[in-house]
Amino acid sequence: MSRLELVKVSKHFGDQVAVEDFNLTVEDGELVSFLGPSGCGKTTTLRMTAGFEMPDSGAVIVDGVDVTDLPPNKRGMGMVFQGYALFPNMTAAENVEFGLAVRKRPLAERRVRVEELLELFGLTQVAGSYPHQMSGGQQQRVALARAVAIQPGVLLLDEPLSAVDAKVREELRTEIRRMQVQLHVTTILVTHDQSEALSISDRVVVMNRGAIEEVGTPTQIYSEPRSAFTAGFVGAMNEIPVRVVSGAQGLVQRGGRRVAAPGAAGLVDGQLGLLLVRPELLEPIGATNGVLNGDLTMTGRVEVQTFLGATTRLLVRESKTDTDAGPGLVATRLLAVDVPSANAGRWPAGSELRVRIPVGASRVIADRSAAAAASVAVAVADRQAPPPNVSAPSA
Amino acid sequence: MSGSSISGEATEEAMEALAAGAPAARAYRRTHKRSTRSPLWAIIVLVLATVYFLLPLYATGVFGFSTGKAFTLQPLFDALGDDGFHSALILSLTYSVITTILAIAVVAPTAYLVELRFQRLRSTVEFLTILPFVIPPIILAVGLSNVYGINSPVNLLSSDWAPVLLYGGYFVLTLPFVFRAIDNALRAVDVKMLSEASASLGASPTRTFLQVIVPSISLGLVSGALLAFTTAMGEFTLAALLGYPTFPVYLLNINGYEAHIGEALVLVSFLITWAGVVALAAVARRAPGTQIVRGGPM
Repeated sequence: MSRLELVKVSKHFGDQVAVEDFNLTVEDGELVSFLGPSGCGKTTTLRMTAGFEMPDSGAVIVDGVDVTDLPPNKRGMGMVFQGYALFPNMTAAENVEFGLAVRKRPLAERRVRVEELLELFGLTQVAGSYPHQMSGGQQQRVALARAVAIQPGVLLLDEPLSAVDAKVREELRTEIRRMQVQLHVTTILVTHDQSEALSISDRVVVMNRGAIEEVGTPTQIYSEPRSAFTAGFVGAMNEIPVRVVSGAQGLVQRGGRRVAAPGAAGLVDGQLGLLLVRPELLEPIGATNGVLNGDLTMTGRVEVQTFLGATTRLLVRESKTDTDAGPGLVATRLLAVDVPSANAGRWPAGSELRVRIPVGASRVIADRSAAAAASVAVAVADRQAPPPNVSAPSA
Repeated sequence: MSGSSISGEATEEAMEALAAGAPAARAYRRTHKRSTRSPLWAIIVLVLATVYFLLPLYATGVFGFSTGKAFTLQPLFDALGDDGFHSALILSLTYSVITTILAIAVVAPTAYLVELRFQRLRSTVEFLTILPFVIPPIILAVGLSNVYGINSPVNLLSSDWAPVLLYGGYFVLTLPFVFRAIDNALRAVDVKMLSEASASLGASPTRTFLQVIVPSISLGLVSGALLAFTTAMGEFTLAALLGYPTFPVYLLNINGYEAHIGEALVLVSFLITWAGVVALAAVARRAPGTQIVRGGPM
């Protein structure tokens, strides 16, 4: 049974559209992330769910009951805030106990429950400490314990990890997932951090400009993004302009080569498309190697090497000879290629590199953003910076 | 790791660092320069100010507590034996305590609601609370006795309700101090976030205010209360013109015929006020995590 439903929820701030026609069903015990850049409406949607903002239209339904008009203190939802929001005048234990005291639970029951929760979150030692005496990670753990203490129907997490430092962040997100599964609490997590969303969610809702861009499992979102926005926002993605030759047969063309791209199915013939390829799927090949299995190749010069740990990312600028990609196609500005760090020494900055693009394993999407501009004014687009078509993580 | 354009990320960080660093460096240079300057002028100004403030106190003390030749506490004992002194002090204390309670009870929830829900009204409320600084108490007194006086259809002044006028007047006079103190305390904590956290845990708005907000701004409430109390205790104009023999009025009267007693009481009341301020400062320094929520996100 679905635990939470958001039905056609919309919210405007003045002329500004914050959220438009938001529809989502969250199943019992599911962890769903709202992922998107700041201003995409994810926090507003969460706040409408919690009751801190009133939607202009639409409904918030919990367990089949419309709670749209209920004030936040009657909704029984736990919430964790970006800035912890611990009560400064109460100890960790008192903070956790607050919601239970409000519910007038017997003192003995409260004590037991608080103790359990402090232990679950590894807070027993700081039970008597005030918020200002605790580290950021500890404060956020207390905030989590406090929110789940009331056994909320839905747990809302508003960027809960953005105020703690990187190391604690990874630790805490695993802990959140562990706790969420253990307590089987339906959870919504708002985040702008794609790795956070992908690592611990059952489903991810990618949002952009107040609307849902797409909803899917982390694997779907990462491997088969349906829009350039998702592709660019979730992880690093190369976007290589191609022209669709035949949508029916899944044929695309670039630089005079015509290759089969299953991902292009359903696109209109003659349309501009973007071939989406993850950096780890690109493979440096020798200059003399023949092209295999109908894949595309690209030659360029390594501009920068970025060490990422196990892999090293090469940023490759496509050579001039390759820029004649075909009528209406702009050259790929920069291509991100991930190679094992052990081999990275073979392609120092400035060296030439030939890359194989596995078309068969990639998706092609319609190039909505720059299609018109690119086909009309190739020359102009070439001189002025073309739209950024490589995205990279900002660790 | 969040996705964003490859270019720009580094530059953005550099710009941020620059933006943050520049004022800090300037501030450092400024303070550094100041500290190397000769402190001679500072010492001279300090000595002059000390003399300016302490000399009248010293004179008051000498006049109030000496027989002309020796130190004596006689004027204080004389005052304690005076019926007028007792009634004046009790009157003043009563009015001050009730005014203080009234001011805190009205201003604290108001300031909270302004901060939480009615930010648009902030400038209006701030303007209103500053009015008593602009309008002298004498105008307030004359206005009150005209509007609620003998010739008025609402003749409160000669009814049993007369004290209401003084409470109202005192309340208005204490507004600027009480509002400032409480508002500052409210702005030091994230009122909105704390209130939302409390609501999400099921607490009603009243409970949130009493159990979460009030303890978080206790220091502001204490200083607001102290300021309200001292303002009301020391108020002369309204009390004199509306015909209430409060402590300040008594002081002036007794100064007319028993100047030694008057001066002795002035010094004693000054010392009591001063002790109050010192006590407040001590409380402020010891209060655990009330004024500032430490460790929050910067």
